[in-house]
Amino acid sequence: MKNCVTRILATAGLALLMSGPATAKQNSCSDPILLGTTISETGPFSTLADRWRKLTEVFAEEINKTGGVMVKSCGKKLPLKFVIYDDQSVPATALQLFEKMATVDNVDFFVGPDWSSLGGPVPPLADKHKIPMVMANVATPAVYERGLKYIWGTPFPVVPNWSARYFDMITKVSPQPQSIYFITHDNPVMKGISATWSKKAEAQGLKVLGNETFSPEMKDFTALIAKVRAAKADVIYIASYDNASVPLVQQMRQLRVRAMDVHHTMLTGALFRQVGKDIEGMTGELSWYPGVKGDYSDLVETVMKRSDVTMFDYIWTLGRLTSYLTMVQAIEKAGVVDRERVKEALFKGTFKSPAGDVTFDEKGFPNTGAFTVQMQNGKVNVVWPPEVATGKLVWPSPTWQQ
Amino acid sequence: MSATRTTRLPSKAGGGVLGWLGAGLVIAALLALPFAGNSYLLTFGFSVLIAYILGQSWDWVAGEMGYVNLGHYIFYGFGAYAFSIALVSGWSMPVSLVFALAVTGLLALLLAVPLFRLHGDYFAFATLALLPLMEVLAYNLTPITKGADGIVLPVAQVLTPAYLLALAVCVIAFIATLQINQLRFGYALKSIRNDEQVAETVGVRIAPVKRLVLVISALFGAAAGALQAWQMSYIDPATVFGLNVSLVPIAMVLFAGSGLRFGPLVGVLLLASMQQWLLVNIQGYQATLYGLTILLIGRFMPGGFLRAKWVKKVPGLAALSREHHEYAGEAEGVSAQPDVLPLPRLRADCAKPLIELQGVRMQFGGNVAVNDVSLKINEGEIVGLIGPNGSGKTTLFNCISGVYTPSAGKVLFAGQDLAAFGRDGIARLGVGRTYQIPRPFGDLTVQENIAIPLMFGAQPMSPRDAMREARAFVDYAELSSRLTDRADALSVQEKKALEFARALATRPRLLLVDEVASGLTPVEVKRFVEHIRHMRDRYGITVIWVEHIFSALEQVVDRVIALEQGTLIADGPLAEVVKDERVLSTYLGASARSRQGVLPC
Amino acid sequence: MEVLLQVLIGGVLLGGLYALVAFGLSLIYGVARILNFAHGTLLAVSGVLASLAFTAWQLHPLLIATLLGPMMFVFAYGYYHLLLRPLAKRSHFESTVGTVLVTVGTLMILSDLTAKAAGATQRNIPLRMPVIEYGDIIISTTQLLILAGIVALTVIMHLLLKHSWFGRAVRAVTQDAVGAQICGVQSTRIKAMTFAFGSATVAIAAVLYVLSFPVDPYMGFSLTVKAFTIIVVGGVGNLPGALLAGVFLGVAEGLTGLYWKPEWAPALSVVAMLVILVAYPKGVGVKT
Repeated sequence: MKNCVTRILATAGLALLMSGPATAKQNSCSDPILLGTTISETGPFSTLADRWRKLTEVFAEEINKTGGVMVKSCGKKLPLKFVIYDDQSVPATALQLFEKMATVDNVDFFVGPDWSSLGGPVPPLADKHKIPMVMANVATPAVYERGLKYIWGTPFPVVPNWSARYFDMITKVSPQPQSIYFITHDNPVMKGISATWSKKAEAQGLKVLGNETFSPEMKDFTALIAKVRAAKADVIYIASYDNASVPLVQQMRQLRVRAMDVHHTMLTGALFRQVGKDIEGMTGELSWYPGVKGDYSDLVETVMKRSDVTMFDYIWTLGRLTSYLTMVQAIEKAGVVDRERVKEALFKGTFKSPAGDVTFDEKGFPNTGAFTVQMQNGKVNVVWPPEVATGKLVWPSPTWQQ
Repeated sequence: MSATRTTRLPSKAGGGVLGWLGAGLVIAALLALPFAGNSYLLTFGFSVLIAYILGQSWDWVAGEMGYVNLGHYIFYGFGAYAFSIALVSGWSMPVSLVFALAVTGLLALLLAVPLFRLHGDYFAFATLALLPLMEVLAYNLTPITKGADGIVLPVAQVLTPAYLLALAVCVIAFIATLQINQLRFGYALKSIRNDEQVAETVGVRIAPVKRLVLVISALFGAAAGALQAWQMSYIDPATVFGLNVSLVPIAMVLFAGSGLRFGPLVGVLLLASMQQWLLVNIQGYQATLYGLTILLIGRFMPGGFLRAKWVKKVPGLAALSREHHEYAGEAEGVSAQPDVLPLPRLRADCAKPLIELQGVRMQFGGNVAVNDVSLKINEGEIVGLIGPNGSGKTTLFNCISGVYTPSAGKVLFAGQDLAAFGRDGIARLGVGRTYQIPRPFGDLTVQENIAIPLMFGAQPMSPRDAMREARAFVDYAELSSRLTDRADALSVQEKKALEFARALATRPRLLLVDEVASGLTPVEVKRFVEHIRHMRDRYGITVIWVEHIFSALEQVVDRVIALEQGTLIADGPLAEVVKDERVLSTYLGASARSRQGVLPC
Repeated sequence: MEVLLQVLIGGVLLGGLYALVAFGLSLIYGVARILNFAHGTLLAVSGVLASLAFTAWQLHPLLIATLLGPMMFVFAYGYYHLLLRPLAKRSHFESTVGTVLVTVGTLMILSDLTAKAAGATQRNIPLRMPVIEYGDIIISTTQLLILAGIVALTVIMHLLLKHSWFGRAVRAVTQDAVGAQICGVQSTRIKAMTFAFGSATVAIAAVLYVLSFPVDPYMGFSLTVKAFTIIVVGGVGNLPGALLAGVFLGVAEGLTGLYWKPEWAPALSVVAMLVILVAYPKGVGVKT
């Protein structure tokens, strides 16, 4: 029993020891700038975030090669350092880790996390501790509608802009498509895309012949494809994550689906690797591609090359990297490592990225967009807008005709 | 094959006052946590509390009752959704919480009906499959659950109130565990865990008990889900029904020891801390290390590490490893008179039939086990039941005690048709039985085995009183030296004695004895025969005794009934029956008739 | 009409794949009574390995299957002896709990190690096999092969179990391991072999699986749940039953997608299992 009491006292003592008021060391000119983030390195979301720890560490290295981030009030550049934890794809875990970073690790700012599962619970924490948080791949608009003042996000692209260029493009092709059929992956972002763009399609004069939703685990699409074939739409619009749509695309080929064009909202290298030639001729969206020059494109290309990540494979990478770029630029704009000043800078500023300028509305929601691409002879080419195109659009889409 | 454990229970630990003081200190420290200014520790502490609520509530159904509910997390998810939907609709937090509890409790009640038709592994499969089912429902019932979008709760910094509420729920859960094990309810759970059928035949009403424990378990699961949803302010189907998190609380409890008083608590604390430490300090391979720990415990200490032998030797840990055996050794106020049992002395009315079978038939598919058997046994008779193996004797017992429902015919007990009664009802009417192969409640002590029928009989007793009264039966069965030993550690003969004593503890008017004498020495047989006679002479108990040892029957029975392949072929005094031609040919073949012999005794 | 036929065919073929996944588990659970929670993860890991072997070394899928099968057999045999056999000696409660903990731990370890070694990304074997066309109906050759394979495997195993000495030994062990030992059957060896064989089947199934559908290191557990539902619906230990159950489920999911909504299809197998269990609480079918 003596052991019992000792144990209890020890536990209580330890608890008190580990808790101390968290002091933020803001406005320092000698310490590195600490950015805290979690990455889903394990668990179901890890398939989307391959090698991101390396990516993040390399980014810091590259930035620090020229001294770091310019902080005017210190008259010099301060090095950048990341604190990275694995959230294991579990929201409760992410919350604990962000709390740790806020109160124990004393980070200056937050970047990330990704995914709506985490983008729901984590942001209120930013408000609680008044630490600016530039989230990465969180695209669900509802997350930004909660009156939170310390969050921004850099998903690429945002749902309202997702297929803007594509729908612009199809008003200018010949023969012009008259009808469209949506196939949607049961996921909030994808459903948001279908909802938004089916409305826009109708406004443009296209007849929406149907919208079938499939669950993420679906393997056999025979019934769904049967419905699509029966509708005989000019354009088939697949709003889906790349991985979830692998069997769909394969079976669409096998079952000889025909259309003027098959459009895929996430036409990626991962999809290409898994469906091979089936992807030929499909159009899609890509926020950026090495070869398309833009601000910071050299930095981004170097970082990706060094960490062995290709944009075409893991398109969420641009969202991640842009959150880092935005934060760095916000600190530079603020001129001081101060949370309130950086917060102001984030709302007011225009931020450069390889895919164009990024600005945020008062909810922290960005205006990012994407280019239209097409798979041609095993290569992905930007086909719209024509000014930045790396290849000419082939319309109607090759291989989906006979 | 299993290692027999002669577990002596620890003598009443002197932990009384110190234990409560210690608990008070711990709770005080936990209460102080929100005000210590470290929100990381607070968030971590909150998740530990939630894990404990889930683990402990799971253990009532699994550790105490033996039903492994792998889908326990659905109550968590359902509670989270119900709470969130209510909160978003504008109801206040307390109302939403109560709503979540009520609705989840109702779900548990509904699920109990189909689920408890299953046992063992099938129960585990079915509950496991409920998780993906609920996830699909959450994804697809979009008008209610908002589907894949999830439910966004209004932002409120509620970590501290959520934590305090969770702490309160934890304390309640712990107290509930203590209480459950002190009430008859706990003993009902434990008897179900060991042997449901036997539990019923000693008077335990198992269906309401199962429903109740599932509902209680669901209520706590729902509380955990609601509080976590409140604190996270966002839920979606994958978060609350995900297979990657749903087994974690279960693994935590199993890790330390399911069914132990401190098992869930220790397991949750250790594994949650370990997981957090790994996350923060080890980069890469945390899941591997975590999984490896679980694997090693499963391989080397599957009862949970608190049940490992080395734990008993470590002073602090030994206290944590105590099993739930309350009232151990209770013995105050028990009469020290040998051979006197606290049984009513029934006046046997030898004219009235106590039990009557009218054309009872028991058929399994094409196999007729009991074929139109009619018989009458009066009060106070001792009747032998003989027949070769497979002749339907045990089946007949099963028909009488309600284990089987006869395919045709009636069983009347003291004039009442037993068809209207369930097994437990029949037991309470006064039908007690032993089983051919003893079926004690293995992981309960000898004393508890006997106390349970006393608790659940027609005149129910409180657990404390029942444990006291059980002493007399234990002494009668000459098992006093084994009072606090686990029943599965007994030798076969001791188990038979226990079986007999337990049957007596049901305060039977009719005692069905199934081949208790085989394997006994002649002296022991004689003693046993005296017991039987004593039962009838002193307590007026009517006995039907299935036995092969005719020398035993000869000493005490009034008459004998013989069965062959389910059919009654003889009914009369022993001397006549053993000369009966049909009986002879049954036992010895047709050639016996020519010998005009008597059955060897 | 053609649409219905196409959907039915698609369902049957998909069902064959389900049955293939469940086959190994039906054996393992039926004979060795092991609730192997890592069953689906074995498939996921084998699938990742198969995909790697194909893309990195350009090995032909048939070669991959011939290599993976025996490798998995050896691994599973050792695994059984080291981790699971000692548990069988304990009390029923401890052996069940121990098996759960060991297999859950294994699934965590395997997922993590595979993700670390090969990346967490989803992968498959992107081999486009020719299809058979019959008028307007199109049949995938891969899936036809799978169906043919699983039917052949089921028939062979069924006959083996019914008519060979080995099969009788297996059935004896299923019913009463101790009794079988007394009769000269080496129960432990039989259980270990069955476990190893069932796991090897999963490895081969994985190669066929990744020819049709993608895998990633974390998808295992949901596959395990699906396999469990199939063996329950088909009757535990009943191999032809598992095949029928798999096909039944595949067709039911297809029809749900056609006549109702595709997003409800995954719920079907679970509902079917629950309904079956409520009607037949001790399970359906006769033990082989």
